[in-house]
Amino acid sequence: MDIFITALPTILKAMAMGAVPILLASLGELFSERGGLVNIGLEGIMAVGAFVGFAVAKVTGNLWMGLLVAMLAGIAVNMIYAFCTVTLCSDQVVTSMAINILAPAIALFGYNLFVGANPANATGEQMASIAIPGLSQIPFIGDALFNQTPVAYLAFLLVPCVAVFFSRFRAGLSFRSVGENPQAAETLGINVVRMKYVACVVCGALAAAGGAFLTLCYTPIYTDGIVMGRGFIALATLIFGRWNAFGVLAASLLFGFFDGTSVALQAQFQAAPIMFFKMIPYVFTIVALIFFGSRSAGPKASGKPYLREQR
Amino acid sequence: MTKSKHTLSAEERREKTLMVLTPVASVLLALIVGAIIIACLGKNPLQGYAALLQGSLGDLPKIGKTLERACPLIFTGLAAVFAYKCGVFNLGGEGQFIMGGCATALTVFGLGLTGPAALALGLIAGIVVGGIWGLLPGIMKITRGLNEMITTIMLNYVAMYFMEFVFKNLFSDQGLPKTPAIPKDGRLPELLSAHIGVLMAIILGIVIWYVLFRTSFGFKIRATGMNQTAARVNGFPVRRLVLLSFVISGAIAGMGGSIELLGKAPYRLADGFGSGFGFDGVAIALIAQLNPIAAIVVAILFGILSTGGTMMQSVIGVPTAIIDITRGLIIIFAVAGMAMIKLPAIKAFIASIGSKSKKVEANA
Repeated sequence: MDIFITALPTILKAMAMGAVPILLASLGELFSERGGLVNIGLEGIMAVGAFVGFAVAKVTGNLWMGLLVAMLAGIAVNMIYAFCTVTLCSDQVVTSMAINILAPAIALFGYNLFVGANPANATGEQMASIAIPGLSQIPFIGDALFNQTPVAYLAFLLVPCVAVFFSRFRAGLSFRSVGENPQAAETLGINVVRMKYVACVVCGALAAAGGAFLTLCYTPIYTDGIVMGRGFIALATLIFGRWNAFGVLAASLLFGFFDGTSVALQAQFQAAPIMFFKMIPYVFTIVALIFFGSRSAGPKASGKPYLREQR
Repeated sequence: MTKSKHTLSAEERREKTLMVLTPVASVLLALIVGAIIIACLGKNPLQGYAALLQGSLGDLPKIGKTLERACPLIFTGLAAVFAYKCGVFNLGGEGQFIMGGCATALTVFGLGLTGPAALALGLIAGIVVGGIWGLLPGIMKITRGLNEMITTIMLNYVAMYFMEFVFKNLFSDQGLPKTPAIPKDGRLPELLSAHIGVLMAIILGIVIWYVLFRTSFGFKIRATGMNQTAARVNGFPVRRLVLLSFVISGAIAGMGGSIELLGKAPYRLADGFGSGFGFDGVAIALIAQLNPIAAIVVAILFGILSTGGTMMQSVIGVPTAIIDITRGLIIIFAVAGMAMIKLPAIKAFIASIGSKSKKVEANA
């Protein structure tokens, strides 16, 4: 127990850090599925975001520029998905799986060119943390929770905004109607196809931001496979959070907590086979889904192609 | 079955032709885009592709190497085909492949086996454990309704770390992060400069084709994949079929991992064993339109791209990641193309071309 208490600040710090990329990607997927599009390509989009953020921040020296361009790159990649699924009505799961194969390849290609040209490019820039005065002085939890990078604060601030958007705003409600029953939405004068494209823009931007967080705030390097399944954990987070922004936040923090526990245990018991600690987030994702995962709460028309002429 | 071939309508025949043409066109289109990228880097794409073919099919040892590179992809591709035919989106090929390899390593090193015993027991262990690794997400799906896409991916990472445990802690080669090599007499024999596992993979593909398209069991699997409700109404044991397809799919991938360890140099587990093979298998299955025989062909194409890509890199100096992009593009084009030819507007357009050419024929 003593070990746990001394490790608690480490765990909390790692929890908040680990939760952010999953939270961002999961919020992106929330938009996508509310618009009736299942996108399992988050992993690939995050990889592109991670690389582009890393490279642009290194070249320009401006981390925010890196984040912005990463988001644009994520949108560009997700437009391939949007065109195939919305305009060509292809199978959403299959198409996003194709994105999962193509996007990391693009990122790796870019990385090879970028670092191959100049090996000094291998280590990138890191965003500094900003401590919130007062709150960060709270013992134990203060430094962990209120001494974060600005991107993390923005990600957490996004949660209430998204929740209000979907429950209070007309645009948010019409968004939801597209995911529940696109035919009915169309009769109400909502442009379903445009809505779906908007959903893809938001999803691509947020997932890429989640990826960029990994290279801009988490580690200063890009490696192939840096996303480590976080895109798929984000999908689990959405199910676990019942397609609700606050639920997603809680679920992301929980996944972050287990990520943090894994990191703390690795630091604590270095002699033990640490691979088993590294398994924790993945095993926990499965366990959490077994106990709380239910598909019943999702948008009803999510995953189905929408052909305007079809009844 | 043979009777229905004769009674295909013109439209059905056209659709079948398009189904074959689309993947071929996607491959060509992806190679063209790859050539454009190479040209943008200021290199000669023709020289690059010549090096690619030279490096992968130049002589017999190179062909053998290409086939050995394609062998695990045939297995993961077939695993994906079998699962998707039953409507199971198994993304865990990599984990099942790795666990198959681990099981073989544990059996051979744990029991200190050599010779044919190592080969036989190692292979069986790989198949069984691969099947078990496929069974887990299957149980989660049919009992708790969990999405297999997420659970299989999570199990991939668990398998990856378990393999790390095997080659770092359990059977480390003098403290290095790799297992010792499989004893010489326990390896798969060679046949024409490629190990015999390639032949096994191809035979397995033919068997799977036969099972899927020529047996009542295969029919039930396909019916479940097309429409679960209809299959259930017909009295097919849908849950059992889904579970079985998970297990068989996992066993195929596990066998692939086992054969990779027993047949391909350096005959040991180390970091990166099986890395990416699962997703490649998914890509292969989708490009092959879920046809086992076509999956073998696509897997060999992927093998050519991989081994030839290394040669291309050394000759004209472009990163091998260009090959990964080409592969990604093939699958995107194939998926988009397949969806496109099913759109009503495009269908009508193709039909109009077809009927016009018929009229011309009639007039002439």
